[in-house]
Amino acid sequence: MVDENELWILSFYRTSEISGALFFGRLARTMKPGEIQRDMTKHFSDESMHAWYWTACIEKLGAHALKLEQSYQDQYLAAAGLPVNIMEVLAITQVFEKRVIGQYSLHSSLPGLDPEIQATLRKIMQDEKWHIEWIRDALKGLESDYGKERVETTLKRFGEADLEVYRKTTDEHTERLQELINGGRRR
Amino acid sequence: MIDPQAVKAKMGAFLKIPLERLQDNATLSDLVHDSFLLVQLAIELQEEFNARLVQEDLKDVRTVHDLIHQVVTHEISADDE
Repeated sequence: MVDENELWILSFYRTSEISGALFFGRLARTMKPGEIQRDMTKHFSDESMHAWYWTACIEKLGAHALKLEQSYQDQYLAAAGLPVNIMEVLAITQVFEKRVIGQYSLHSSLPGLDPEIQATLRKIMQDEKWHIEWIRDALKGLESDYGKERVETTLKRFGEADLEVYRKTTDEHTERLQELINGGRRR
Repeated sequence: MIDPQAVKAKMGAFLKIPLERLQDNATLSDLVHDSFLLVQLAIELQEEFNARLVQEDLKDVRTVHDLIHQVVTHEISADDE
């Protein structure tokens, strides 16, 4: 049986995956057909599947997912401002994906982790690697439109916002995340 | 050259808002309550009118007129493509 804090964390992951799927799903409908739209459709399908994996994982642990009002992405947009072009959307997503894979990797390294959670984290991390790769390649391709320097500056700016949001999230949910934070410090 | 009225018409169609409500001085935050929809709108207008905007361009945008002005003044020239 999953404890209250762990249920909150798994539900937080699930909510963020749903938000990611919806964000890219809506954008994919707006974009013209092409390589970026093609990979974006796979990406949002993955995110949607990840939400399903978390739901299934939580249920196997004998619980039900919590309904959480705010996702991690909502806080991103508040801290970094709205991205207004496809390069900025991909840059903020790249920073977010790296945070996700770092967080999942940290979580999966916890001693005594339930095998169900461990298997779910590993399955999702495989997809996340591809997410980082396709976005990296797409951003490289967009350098000819926006300039290499602008792409790099945008990644840096969103990276700073990511740090701010991560600190705020860990401060707000210190108790829930304590085990993960301690795990990170021990690494 | 981008026609401002065409941009306004596209905004109305995209947001499903009648043109009479899209007054130049109408504020975007009153018209659009969903921030994701604003992101989509910005990308839709750039794709439709071959314009290129970055975050700084929209920093001070508050009204329908402000947004149209930014799209019109950021058209990609043949030299940029």
